[in-house]
Amino acid sequence: MAKPAVILVGADKGGVGKTTVARTLIDYFGAHQTPTRAFDTESPRGTLKRFHPDLTEVVNVTAVADQMKIFDTLGSADAKVTVIDVRAGLLSSTLQALTDIGFLESAKKGQITFAVFHILGPSIASLEEIAETARVMGDANYFLVKNFINNTTFFDWDPATYNSYFKRIKGAEEITIPKLNEMAYEQVEVASVPFVSFVGNKGVKNEAANYSFVLRGYVRHWLGNVWGEYDRVKLVDLVAPKMESNVRQAAG
Amino acid sequence: MSFRSSITIIASPRPRVGKTLLARLLADFHRHEGRAVATFDLNAGDKTLEHFLPEQTTTASIRDINGQIALFDRLVADENTTKVVDLGHESFESFFAVTHQIGFVEEALSRSIGVAILFTMTPDKTSVEAYRSLRARFSHATLAPVHNEMLGPAQHRDKYPLASGSPVVRIPVLAPGLRRYIETPPFSFADAQLAETAGIPVSAHVEIQRWLRRIYLEFRELDLRILLADLRSSIRFGS
Repeated sequence: MAKPAVILVGADKGGVGKTTVARTLIDYFGAHQTPTRAFDTESPRGTLKRFHPDLTEVVNVTAVADQMKIFDTLGSADAKVTVIDVRAGLLSSTLQALTDIGFLESAKKGQITFAVFHILGPSIASLEEIAETARVMGDANYFLVKNFINNTTFFDWDPATYNSYFKRIKGAEEITIPKLNEMAYEQVEVASVPFVSFVGNKGVKNEAANYSFVLRGYVRHWLGNVWGEYDRVKLVDLVAPKMESNVRQAAG
Repeated sequence: MSFRSSITIIASPRPRVGKTLLARLLADFHRHEGRAVATFDLNAGDKTLEHFLPEQTTTASIRDINGQIALFDRLVADENTTKVVDLGHESFESFFAVTHQIGFVEEALSRSIGVAILFTMTPDKTSVEAYRSLRARFSHATLAPVHNEMLGPAQHRDKYPLASGSPVVRIPVLAPGLRRYIETPPFSFADAQLAETAGIPVSAHVEIQRWLRRIYLEFRELDLRILLADLRSSIRFGS
């Protein structure tokens, strides 16, 4: 039985691009043939669900019924990877809830692979958040994501302050999401399709679409760089260790 | 598979090396061969190409994304037109940076459009390095160095590494007295009638035609090379 993996994507602030990062993760696992499901906590109307309707369920992560829906099904679901897009401001309380239900305990024992993608906002407030999260996280896989997708002048805080927070989390890794041309980003929004579909010139129902070749080119280039970052931190190895993929190859 | 059409980019990081003349010659060559031609002028503020090819020329700019969409989406559009891009020296770097980033050559190939880059050789270091960089970045395009003999007899072959079996495209010298005829619009290499109305003496006209035939021969060879590159790649990748 493969070990299930849970990836939490969160931030304490809205508008820092959590959902964008969640979308690139879903595309990334899709490209690596790793079955993935996603939970969107922006109830009642989820942005993530708009882009990946087949994989995504909208839930309220603080409600017990929905927690059961997510965590009690980890072992039985077909999906190996569960991506949870945590609504703005709910990252700390979600982590607290995970501690309470003993989820973090199972992660520590190695029964579950657990990773957090903490999307950093441009202000110092989100650094305070790191300190708070560090307290509950222990030595889970912690990724600090600097998201430059929509901004050119983003991180203007003091590197020394940043590093002092960054070092509080043992084994934390940095991921940088590069800037994507505004018009290219907007066109993907308008099309409401996964980035991969946009690059492949496909519509919502996988039909042939007619996006600008230049914009597709920019998105392909950008997505390649984002995936390069995920490759660099060995994300696939984390959720699907080498042993298993070898077995899968042998079986297939 | 064989290419339905081609895109030729005429490039050099140096100004005044005869790019626009080369673009005109190539466009008129394709018209002479009975193909529909569209030319794209990326020279900032310079309307030379438009004066000579008013119906074929689109002025383009890649400074912003809208301009890039207008140019590149049109270039790979599914139409049976041969395209020639006259790339101004000031756009050289940014044009190839975008071209590389968006995967332009690969997209064109996937639509059965061959891409060739005509690069005018000059002995300066900037050009030599630019050429090497193009060679490294655009292995799927046909990169053809051009020796414009009007710039001097030296080919600088030692500075420009060539792919095997790909000779230099030569633009022979045209007698100085004849330059003014071909450089005064309206003039078209593809339209012999025009020479008559423009009052070009018969002897000059004959001389220009003789010069032109040598260049057209070079272009035919170039066409074959673009086709051959296609054949090679389909053999390599297995069709």
